[in-house]
Amino acid sequence: MAKKYELNEIEVWDGNTAVSHALRQARIDVVAAYPITPSTPIVQNYSKFLADGYIDGEFIMVESEHSAMSGCVAAGAAGARTATATSSQGFALMVEVLYQASGMRIPVVLTVADRALAAPLNVNGDHSDMYLGRDAGWINLCAYNPQEAYDLTLMAFKIAEDLDVRLPAMVHQDGFICSHTAQNVRPLSDAEAAKFVGEYKPVNSMLDISNPVTHGVQTEEDWHFEHKARQHNDLMNSKNVIKRVFDEFKTLTNREYNLVDNYKLEDADIAIVAIGTTVESARIAADKLRDEGIKAGVLGIRVLRPFPFEEIVNALSNVKAIATMDRSAPGGTFGMLFNEISGAMIGSGKSPIILNYIYGLGGRDTTIEQLIEIYRQLDDCARSNQRKYPLQQFIGLRGPKLSFF
Amino acid sequence: MTKKIRNLKELSLSNDRYEGANLMCPGCAHNIIVREVLNATDDPVVVANATGCLEVCTAVYPKTSWDTSWIHIGFENAAVAIAAVQTTYETLKKQGRLPKAAQKLADEGRDIKFVAFGGDGGTYDIGFQSLSGAFERGHNFMYVCLDNEVYANTGGQRSSSTPIGASTTTSPAGAVSYGEKMMKKSIVEIMADHGAPYVAQVSPSKWKDMIKKVQKGYEAKGPVFINAMSACTTEWRFASEDTIAVSDLGVDSCMWPLYEIINERDEHGIIYRTKLNITYRPKNKIPVEEYLAAQPRFKHLFKPENRHIIDLLQKAVDIRWENLQRREEAGV
Amino acid sequence: MAKDIKDLGWNELIPGAALFSFSEPVEDVTEVAIDERPYSPTNSHEYSVGDWRVEKPVFNRDYCIDCQFCWVFCPDISIISRDKKMIGVDYEHCKGCGICVEVCPTNPKSLLMFPEHLENEEALAKWPAKEAKK
Repeated sequence: MAKKYELNEIEVWDGNTAVSHALRQARIDVVAAYPITPSTPIVQNYSKFLADGYIDGEFIMVESEHSAMSGCVAAGAAGARTATATSSQGFALMVEVLYQASGMRIPVVLTVADRALAAPLNVNGDHSDMYLGRDAGWINLCAYNPQEAYDLTLMAFKIAEDLDVRLPAMVHQDGFICSHTAQNVRPLSDAEAAKFVGEYKPVNSMLDISNPVTHGVQTEEDWHFEHKARQHNDLMNSKNVIKRVFDEFKTLTNREYNLVDNYKLEDADIAIVAIGTTVESARIAADKLRDEGIKAGVLGIRVLRPFPFEEIVNALSNVKAIATMDRSAPGGTFGMLFNEISGAMIGSGKSPIILNYIYGLGGRDTTIEQLIEIYRQLDDCARSNQRKYPLQQFIGLRGPKLSFF
Repeated sequence: MTKKIRNLKELSLSNDRYEGANLMCPGCAHNIIVREVLNATDDPVVVANATGCLEVCTAVYPKTSWDTSWIHIGFENAAVAIAAVQTTYETLKKQGRLPKAAQKLADEGRDIKFVAFGGDGGTYDIGFQSLSGAFERGHNFMYVCLDNEVYANTGGQRSSSTPIGASTTTSPAGAVSYGEKMMKKSIVEIMADHGAPYVAQVSPSKWKDMIKKVQKGYEAKGPVFINAMSACTTEWRFASEDTIAVSDLGVDSCMWPLYEIINERDEHGIIYRTKLNITYRPKNKIPVEEYLAAQPRFKHLFKPENRHIIDLLQKAVDIRWENLQRREEAGV
Repeated sequence: MAKDIKDLGWNELIPGAALFSFSEPVEDVTEVAIDERPYSPTNSHEYSVGDWRVEKPVFNRDYCIDCQFCWVFCPDISIISRDKKMIGVDYEHCKGCGICVEVCPTNPKSLLMFPEHLENEEALAKWPAKEAKK
């Protein structure tokens, strides 16, 4: 039986430490993982917990991320609670199996310390890996600080494993800026966390040898569409379970989570929409503009998938100008948030001015001043009711101004 | 628990856990191999399958041809899949959380056996990294390679198992080519060099030899590799009734020698002795030519300009056969 | 399952497309003969691949020595053998590969290929005599 880990009411943890404790407390049966910067400390900490007797389950130190996710899927099919961690190139190597995890409905939890994708090689934080996996049929939860990374990791198990969901879930945090930045974190005790996450309930376990099951079949044109439809439907409906789990967590901890994280949007004329640590920076920038009497707000995406359409539209319904902030090279089009926020607004009959900012690639710092400048452009547009700036602008870039459309 | 199989009549008492209503070609050796592997034990068996003929022909929704639990994830991950299923078994057993039926059989000393099937594509090539990793980590499972020396499922492209001279759809024989240019990869030795306790090469035509080796594999502690010759009626282009005859020609010509490599390990895992046993010695070692002549994939080698490849193959077979005998004698 | 699987809509499918071998638990499948298992509608057992054949193997009990070569080398579990005795051919699952005939060691053979349309009685009436040793 695993030893109890004595924790202080307030710990000073970086995002990786916070996540590794959440994984330990979730009492995972099988972790299969391969280290990669900046999520490596999650894997290392977990190994140390195991070495010190704090973990009952098994840890398979596989030879690649492809095998890490494959191991998780197979262990899940055999009736194990499973999880792993990765970043960047490791995430990219996993992509094939991400689709298999969701298609086979195995509730793996994947904690991602988001990082840029090569080439050129880069170890720092951006959202290229998150964007690469966004169509993989997983639930995507986004943390902005170590406390949230801890909380969302615990909640991810409860959401993913819910019998109405049975879909894998990712918990994102920004590489380095969150994963390696120590902050105050209020953990649950081991017992509270275990009780909250609950016992794992295996579904169609391969080890139930009296009921042999075939996992990972082939479906062709006569069946594939129906199965993908069912999977999409269940992912869309997982919203209700996510909200329920957020509520249960609030009852337990008094920490509140919502599908979107609204900051001063009730009366806002202009808003920044972002994911990750930039949400917290944007709040500071918004306050500075509010000091000048400009009604600025921030919408943080907490749940990227399932896409919180109604919540986004409700929060932005009276906003006149919106900045969508994409921290991933858009590869020949607009950034994902621009497309999705624009689609949501148009789909609900709204036509605010929407601009797209590409920022922070490869860990480039994004300053409060830059965010203030974005708000000033939005304010300019809102006051004149005219789009006075290009639809897509790169910010914080050396050389001539880069913009399109 | 080792099943008592003294003769074919005793083996025939086995109740297959694999269904004949599958989409494999008539005369496919894969099916014969799968049956021999599963029927070699009465312990429960759980299977992982790499993408390939066996996988696409036995689990086409909405029907399964498996009467035992089975998983397929992808082409290159059958080894880690079965390793993770086995790891789950170990931890749930330790935690007292096994499903009831599995617990009951475990209490009777009939622990689940874990088997992975992959073709030579999923084994020699795209799945090799996962296979090597799982062997290095020492998981307790048996990997059976269904070696038909070609990517049969995708229409007969060459693999690193394709022998020199074979005509495949990506190494076709033509006006200026004799077909495949590379020698076959020595997968048996490569897997033995991982330190696996038991590695063997088998042919389903020599059923007794094969059952015996599979049973040794089930008994071994650690990863076991079985390389099974799977004569492919479609890609080797022989008539479906000749599967066993062609397999026997492979064995009797020593193109497909039957042998085993045993790494004897102490309690710390240190290998103190490696033994190689040749388990079948043809009474008359027939010329390789006879084996090649039975398969139209080698037809072009009989043209005068390509005959040197037959000579080359004969030479390679003779050298290997000699080397095997030397290793056996030397006990290394 | 009341409805045929083919009639199920997307909302009625098992998540993950898992398939089940049996409709009720079977504690030890190695103790239950094929044909006697509680096959689920998602087991291929009830499928027939018999229409793949152009020729079929016909079994002649008179010459069989129950060696079981045909049983062990049949790729499709279509040689029915019970209690070490060869009983016959499962024509629902036999694809007509002809391996059983090739491996049969008796003289004359106890299994021979005949055109699919020929009745087994007719085939047995045409059975060849013992071949002289060459």
